Amino acid sequence: MRKGLSIVVAGAVLALAAAPVWAHHAFAQEFDEKKPITLRGTVTKWELINPHSWIHMDVKGADGKVINWMVEGGSPNNLFRLGFTKDSLPPGTEIVVDGYQAKDGAYRAVGKDLTFPDGKRLFMGGSAPGSHGESER
Amino acid sequence: MTHRCLAAVVLTVAIVTLVAVPASAQALAAAKATGAAPSWTPPRTPDGVPDLQGFWTNATSIPLERPKGLGAKEFYTDEEAAQREKAAQEQAERTVGGRQTEPGTTADVHYDLSQFGLARAQSKSAVSKRTSLIVGPDGQIPPLLPEAQKRQADRTAANRGHQFDGPENRGLSERCILWPNEGPPMLQAGYNSNLQIVQGPGYVAILQEMIHDVRIIPTDGRPHVPSNIRQWMGDSRGHWEGNTLVVDTTNFTGRTAFRGSSENLHVIERFTRTDDDNIVYEFTVEDPSTWAKPWSAQVPMTKTPGPVYEYACQEGNYGMANILSGARATERAAEEAAAKKN
Repeated sequence: MRKGLSIVVAGAVLALAAAPVWAHHAFAQEFDEKKPITLRGTVTKWELINPHSWIHMDVKGADGKVINWMVEGGSPNNLFRLGFTKDSLPPGTEIVVDGYQAKDGAYRAVGKDLTFPDGKRLFMGGSAPGSHGESER
Repeated sequence: MTHRCLAAVVLTVAIVTLVAVPASAQALAAAKATGAAPSWTPPRTPDGVPDLQGFWTNATSIPLERPKGLGAKEFYTDEEAAQREKAAQEQAERTVGGRQTEPGTTADVHYDLSQFGLARAQSKSAVSKRTSLIVGPDGQIPPLLPEAQKRQADRTAANRGHQFDGPENRGLSERCILWPNEGPPMLQAGYNSNLQIVQGPGYVAILQEMIHDVRIIPTDGRPHVPSNIRQWMGDSRGHWEGNTLVVDTTNFTGRTAFRGSSENLHVIERFTRTDDDNIVYEFTVEDPSTWAKPWSAQVPMTKTPGPVYEYACQEGNYGMANILSGARATERAAEEAAAKKN
């Protein structure tokens, strides 16, 4: 009986794990998996818009030239619920972005991992499973 | 039973349920069935009808279709629900904050949902002991009729080779026209699965955060609009049956295509508030051009803190231009490669 129960539950939970990533669009049509990129720089603007937020950042290349990149991220709505505001990521903040560059070669990327230089995650400060996503305001 | 056999069963169940939604630890925390004591009387609006107003979420860990390995089993036992909760909690902890995809693969080209608070484990969810939202022994959407399969195949064939020609060739979601969660019938979105219900004399309005469309449902007994008027979300008319709001929707466009449906889609929804914090939302869909028989589901909705934030999809949809310019770049590269060969 117990084994039977394990099968029922394990099967159902694995089924949950098998779910595809939900996205507004297929990112692989916009960005190139063969162009992984790491950007270190400072935030110049944070567009808190839907369907996707965009972080603009200045990145200095090896030649000393500064290039302004745009980094695509997720819908900002739940960031608001978690207490983030436009002031939470002010211009001048140093960040590191690991992601993939646009297929058309423009200075755009999808931000897979967004961290501060010390490795802390950019947005998920005190939040963890169990926070229920409820506003702290 | 051997471990190998167990693994095979588990794997089979996982594979056949790719449409399942991600887990939510919270959804299972209480592991109670939706539905409350029959003695509970819902509050009334000043007009004397049941008051459904407020902010609700229909996020849930329960998949629409039942994992096939569960057969006709419609509900988990308390023990199973508790075990499922524990496993889902553990899975949620792994999901939040960790890369789940292999670098350099197509699947890896995506932002991390949990960075933006969008992983399901980070939001409140409605709970149920159901094994699938679809009710009944099948727990599955009936197979598409041959004419519905042909309709889908024709549509796909017409777009083949032209998927990236222009915005018109892209899907409704990418174009910010309609998301599959909006319905009716309404289902959870991948995230931001919040809605607000507002009532006035003779009307119920439902604002869904994804993607910020409002359903305005007259409850004054007026008939549907004429059949030559077709709308993305159909034409809804409501009435009250006891404590339940019943909404009848027809006049869909053929392009709405809910799970392969045609313009003959007919949706009946039932909203019943079962206590202060919960609404049981039931729907039945029928379409003789699509399925041989109607099918029904029961979706838990639970109270969530407001507000519902704006989701102005079209205004910020840089992705559309970027996808098309990516396609042009890919075409150019292919042309250059072909020219080099010649």
